[in-house]
Amino acid sequence: MYQAESSGAVLRGGRQRAAGAPRRGARVSRNVVVLGTVSLLTDVSSEMVAAILPIYLVFALGASPLQFGIVDGIYQGVSALVRLASGFVADRWRRHKEVAAVGYGLSAACKAALVAIGGSVAAIGGIVLVDRTGKGIRTAPRDALIALSSAPAALATAFGVHRAMDTAGAMLGPLAAFGLLLLAPARFDAIFVVSLCFAVLGLAVLLLFADGRPRRPDAQPGAGRDGAARPTIREAIALLAEPRFRTLVVAAGVLAIATISDGFVYLGLQRTVGFSLTAFPLLFVGSAAVYMALAIPVGRLADRVGRRLVFVAGYALLLPVYTVLLLPSAGIPGLVLALCALGAYYAATDGVLQAIASALLPDSLRASGLALLVTATSLAKLASSVVFGLVWTLGGLEVAATTFVAALSAALLVATAVLRRSPEAVA
Amino acid sequence: MSARALAFAAIAAACAISGVAYVTVAALTADGTTSDARPRLVVDARGAAAVAAGSGLLVRAVDYDNPRLNGRLYETALRRDARPRPSGGLACERVHENAAGDGLCLAAERHGFDYEGVIYGPGRRPHTRFSIPGLPDRARVSPDGRYAGFTAFLSGHTYSAGVRSFSTHTAIVDMRAGKPLFSLDQLAVTRGGEPFERADANFWGVAFAGGDRFYATLGSGGDHYLLEARVSTRRARVIGDHIECPSPSPDGHRIAYKRRIGKQDRWRLHVLDLRSGRDVALAERRSIDDQPEWLDADTIVYSDDRNVYAVPADGSGRPHRLVARASSPVALR
Repeated sequence: MYQAESSGAVLRGGRQRAAGAPRRGARVSRNVVVLGTVSLLTDVSSEMVAAILPIYLVFALGASPLQFGIVDGIYQGVSALVRLASGFVADRWRRHKEVAAVGYGLSAACKAALVAIGGSVAAIGGIVLVDRTGKGIRTAPRDALIALSSAPAALATAFGVHRAMDTAGAMLGPLAAFGLLLLAPARFDAIFVVSLCFAVLGLAVLLLFADGRPRRPDAQPGAGRDGAARPTIREAIALLAEPRFRTLVVAAGVLAIATISDGFVYLGLQRTVGFSLTAFPLLFVGSAAVYMALAIPVGRLADRVGRRLVFVAGYALLLPVYTVLLLPSAGIPGLVLALCALGAYYAATDGVLQAIASALLPDSLRASGLALLVTATSLAKLASSVVFGLVWTLGGLEVAATTFVAALSAALLVATAVLRRSPEAVA
Repeated sequence: MSARALAFAAIAAACAISGVAYVTVAALTADGTTSDARPRLVVDARGAAAVAAGSGLLVRAVDYDNPRLNGRLYETALRRDARPRPSGGLACERVHENAAGDGLCLAAERHGFDYEGVIYGPGRRPHTRFSIPGLPDRARVSPDGRYAGFTAFLSGHTYSAGVRSFSTHTAIVDMRAGKPLFSLDQLAVTRGGEPFERADANFWGVAFAGGDRFYATLGSGGDHYLLEARVSTRRARVIGDHIECPSPSPDGHRIAYKRRIGKQDRWRLHVLDLRSGRDVALAERRSIDDQPEWLDADTIVYSDDRNVYAVPADGSGRPHRLVARASSPVALR
């Protein structure tokens, strides 16, 4: 199990960095590295199953892949509700670690269930549903813990470290599954067992090493104790009335609604560049690799030059991507450019947005606020993909891409204007 | 802290040991086919008695417990006492061939991560392979063996929503060149003379009529249209709706297909008479997700992914099981 060793090395590295002399740029707390390790192990666990689940369902159990797709569709709605509820519960009882542990534990239990009853198609539908519910539960409290463990000046770096580790896990998972199938062809049960091992390791790292009540590196003694009263739902909703947070939600929502979903981008690239469909999975790997490589340096950059600037610049990176969709002969250079820009866009926007929001939100309502923001942006992205599909249908790909280039340019102007008027939070 | 480190070391060791042990045992036993590895597919005597004598079938074995046998091709006569005989070394998830024995087999590679189309000739000897971009679904060879069509399920993935969604990829294959010629989403589709373009269009279920003429399904939103198209012109017309996985009869005048029940993924087999427009539901009442095949002018064969069945093509009678533990039936004439 080389994975356990390498995660141990990561832990040691994190500890040394936290204890040793500050490196150039911002430091990242041990707790962030611990949470990153938890995500890495959990993503290895879940992505190795996700990579083989369609094949397993169809070839080993004889199910229809369409049915599996439907389970996923139903889940989308449930996910948003679960995320909001778990964020609020974590805030109200100040149990971020415990709520996150429930989410990670649920997913680990699902891997055990796969080992035990994975031979039934109906059972797998239920297991997938519970597994994704676990993911919905853990996201907001975990991001809140990352923010609570990080100095305000290093928030974007902290999220960058976490996202880089998370993405590394997501890329290692399918590789692990592939390796296992090489060793033991068609033995899907072996994949489930190894996946369970990784899930248990992730949960163990969380329970044993994560600090549930972190004190920020710069905190004054007793600073974490203000506002001892439990936050109410009313207060959580009132976050949207807070001008700076509302401005951020609006700016992020406006940008998200002018974004073409990845699926359409890849499909458009396939049409314009005209590569073989066999290479389709490589697109995901390519942009994820860029995302992983850039998450930390871009996070660091954001902490230094301003997170809003980097966030808006990240969305501006989508303009060349959409432009490639408009070029009749972009070719392979265009494809590579688009994938790099897409990966950099994720690095500059995903964790950085959480960092901007974390700096604005009070400690007592951080998980609720982060959950609200993510729910708002994912709803906006859902709406945008419906609109994009409609415009593509009515006017063709060129018209749709042109429309979104225009919409994104307008959204960038709006976001820049509103974010400039609202000052960066002084936490 | 040291107690925690100790606890973690114990958990990590337990995970590592059990994981490595399990994988080792799995690796050692994965290829060792058990000694009783005999095909379990059998001809159903009563079913065989119910169809015309003299006809035969090519099927693939369905045997999920035995990866070595799953997908192997078998040929069988449809007589009371017939025993299926293995044919060639191919293992296919889906197979189709014409009367001359030119065929297309959609196969999963040994490790299950990639899929390929295998073009074979008489004797089911493979001569060309090309890779296909997803889970094999449908395969169909033209009567003259010049073209084939296949459908694969693609799975997409987005970071933001973490959602996987399925769409289909359907392409026409040039059997002589041994590779795909074009994807159906490059077809210029018209309906009533007007261009019919849908961004969310999915194509599946190609079936050849004669020459380079073929039928296929176009799905968009919740609707499913029957296309009639030509390979040479790459043009298609919408000629019907609510029709999926069409299969023209030997005389070319009727089309067997699956018809969706409501908006669900449940289907009933139907036969449409293209001349009279008369449409009948077949006597199979269960939901069937398959591209039907004509055994002869009066009989449809299909599978429920476990067994192969036959049912009269005029809506009368009742379904009969023909071969147990088999799927992807192809009529041998």
